[in-house]
Amino acid sequence: MAKHIIVVAREVWDTRDIIGDPLTGEGALRALPRRFEPEDLNSLEQALQLKDKDGCKVTVVSLAPAGDLDVLRECLYRGADEAVRVVAPEGSTDSATAAALLAAAIRRLGEHDLVLLGVGVPEGENSLLAGELAGRLGHGQITYVDSITELSDTRVVCRREIEMGSEFVAAPLPAVLALGVYLLKDDPRTPRAAKAMLKLKLKKAPIPEWTASELGVCDATRVRVAALRALPTRQVETRDVDPGSEAALKAMLQDIR
Amino acid sequence: MADILVYIEHDESGISDLSLQALALSRQLGGGEALLLGRGLAPLAETLLKHGAAAVLAVEQSALAEHVALPAAHALAAVIRSRSPRLVLVPSSTVGNDLAPLAAGLLEAACVVDCDGVEGEAGAWRFLRTEFDARVRAVYEPVGVGPVLVTVKDGIAEAGAVASTGRVEALTVELPAQALRGSVERREVVKKTVNLKDARVIIGGGAGVGSRENFALLEGLAEKLGGELGATRASVDAGWVSAERQIGQTGVTVRPDLYIACGISGAVQHLVGIRDAKTVVAINSDASAPIFRVSHYRIVGDLTTVVPKLMELLG
Repeated sequence: MAKHIIVVAREVWDTRDIIGDPLTGEGALRALPRRFEPEDLNSLEQALQLKDKDGCKVTVVSLAPAGDLDVLRECLYRGADEAVRVVAPEGSTDSATAAALLAAAIRRLGEHDLVLLGVGVPEGENSLLAGELAGRLGHGQITYVDSITELSDTRVVCRREIEMGSEFVAAPLPAVLALGVYLLKDDPRTPRAAKAMLKLKLKKAPIPEWTASELGVCDATRVRVAALRALPTRQVETRDVDPGSEAALKAMLQDIR
Repeated sequence: MADILVYIEHDESGISDLSLQALALSRQLGGGEALLLGRGLAPLAETLLKHGAAAVLAVEQSALAEHVALPAAHALAAVIRSRSPRLVLVPSSTVGNDLAPLAAGLLEAACVVDCDGVEGEAGAWRFLRTEFDARVRAVYEPVGVGPVLVTVKDGIAEAGAVASTGRVEALTVELPAQALRGSVERREVVKKTVNLKDARVIIGGGAGVGSRENFALLEGLAEKLGGELGATRASVDAGWVSAERQIGQTGVTVRPDLYIACGISGAVQHLVGIRDAKTVVAINSDASAPIFRVSHYRIVGDLTTVVPKLMELLG
């Protein structure tokens, strides 16, 4: 039975549909809308479901500058007990720095059983941050987690998807779990909505902010982006095919076969 | 001592092709040692020497008999500590992308995942990664000293046989008790029956397909066209199709002559997987779906009526 679960929540660029040139044009990264990393939201829901069942404490930690979309407050509205913001350093942050800062913050949050976060990040479906975090914390790690099938005082067992099927992996506690489930609307694991009552109550609740120097982290950068090179965009000539016209469909089938 | 260490992924069927590609890359970069973890490694070590490994480091320990991320990452970290390579190449697979970041975290070292290119002089390598719907090539540069762990994507180099005069060296590593508590309880292996990589025609289904029953419809169309069924991550996670059919960032990259996208909105993560399709037909009820921007034929309509109509016309 878990007593304290920590969720890492990230605010990310919404890259589902990039229009324009991400380097310079109107679709520049800065102009992309930001959103709550959906898989982190799933992780929060998983933590809240364990809280519903066992009454454990859920703390959310986020590494971010204060943005328009306040993921931490959103977590409190959905039922998290506490939230902490780790102030992101100026400029871009590599995964090693993010892991060092989050690991320091997680240590400062005290004893815990699980650290949950999503597999997905805007630029890849990999568990880079989860791994670096688990390594630095010396925790157990399971990535691409589909579901938690067993949780005791000493270990956790998860079902995870792999290329050749699925496997059930056990890890000692505390453990970092990277959840990798892309949920559709009607899935029972779909994140709950924010509660109006909590919104009223917690709208002005203070959220502590911890800086790198407070956390004792300096010079953690291991990789930097030396350059971004534009690649030629695909030019596709699109032909409209009327689904109601048999002749049009027939002509298309002839072309493509 | 080589500057490069290559982590070799293997299972009952042998060494993964991507591991041999990583080894070929290490040769292009000046030669690398191959690292094998597990049991009964002798025949695998032979194969690696025939593929040009400068040396094979074999760690035969019962705790590593079966691949489990936690002990494997500790073993990899221990070997990196003792051999001090500057670059560690790891296949970009579920196993590799799980292992490399964890080992990097243990070493507080640099890690770059999903690389599709390397440039620069020995020791001052820079790692390339195609990002944002293949519109940007990001160049990553390690900062400071210490090893860099890099996972490399399929196609990074051509695997090939090259004789080597290297030798096999047996190593033992000390694993902390905590690492030994990670285990795989049970595996449910799905026999691989799908070959999307070589398919000429693929019918892909996304969240818009809506149900397992509608997927059966797509399967019918695939059969008529002599093609394979493919899927997006959303429809795999929904349980409508098996994971081996997943196309995209996670999953396989395909190069069919014809790709028919049904109920696929066209998220960047899926589009990178179908980038090399010669002809794309998209069927979607949402006229503004991004998939239409990369489609040669655009059919705005309900796939449950359009697909049966197409099948009827195919006879």
